[in-house]
Amino acid sequence: MELEALQQIHSEVKALGTQIVVITPELERYTRALHRKLNLTYDILTDLHLKTAEQFRLVFTLPDYLRELYKSFGSTLDRFNDEPEYRLPMPARYIIDKDSIIRAADVNADYTIRPDPAETLRHLRTLTPAPAN
Amino acid sequence: MATLQERLDEFKKAFESGAPPYNAPHEAIEKMHRATAELKASGIEKTALKVGDRAPAFSLFNQDHAQVSSSDLLGEGPLVVSFFRGHW
Repeated sequence: MELEALQQIHSEVKALGTQIVVITPELERYTRALHRKLNLTYDILTDLHLKTAEQFRLVFTLPDYLRELYKSFGSTLDRFNDEPEYRLPMPARYIIDKDSIIRAADVNADYTIRPDPAETLRHLRTLTPAPAN
Repeated sequence: MATLQERLDEFKKAFESGAPPYNAPHEAIEKMHRATAELKASGIEKTALKVGDRAPAFSLFNQDHAQVSSSDLLGEGPLVVSFFRGHW
């Protein structure tokens, strides 16, 4: 749902001269399929073995009892992400300015909560010069 | 139109009701809640990078196996980076 919601603001984001990227541990063969299925115009980047997520300090290991539960549902992280240890990134949305400084950070351990894309768009507008009239 | 969070809440409510189409067992929902509570209690939200920190540079492959680097993206202007755990 979040990917579709980000897609809805992408043309406005681009009009500001800014960009969106999604970073996921999922392997490229899955991101390719997902990208096509959702008709996305921004990139999904594969963060193999969570190297970038680690640098943002977002990585956690799924507890054993949840690992077993997901396996019983038929989902296997090891297949999608090549992650035998069942590590995942916390959902997070950052706005990074041209000098690589983080200007907005929404990080939530509860993966059912996501910031509103409209809020992200409002914040981006404050970081970009207003278009000349 | 419903906001992203409204749609997420609606999905969560349907899932946690235990009714079709998801038929989620009560024990499963409890385990998910427990894991989220434990992760929150671990303090990881506070140790993650935050406003004012320098963002690490990255260079990763996109869905078409083209290499994309943060320095190229930031050359165009501010950048939104969203971490997604996957659709597994």
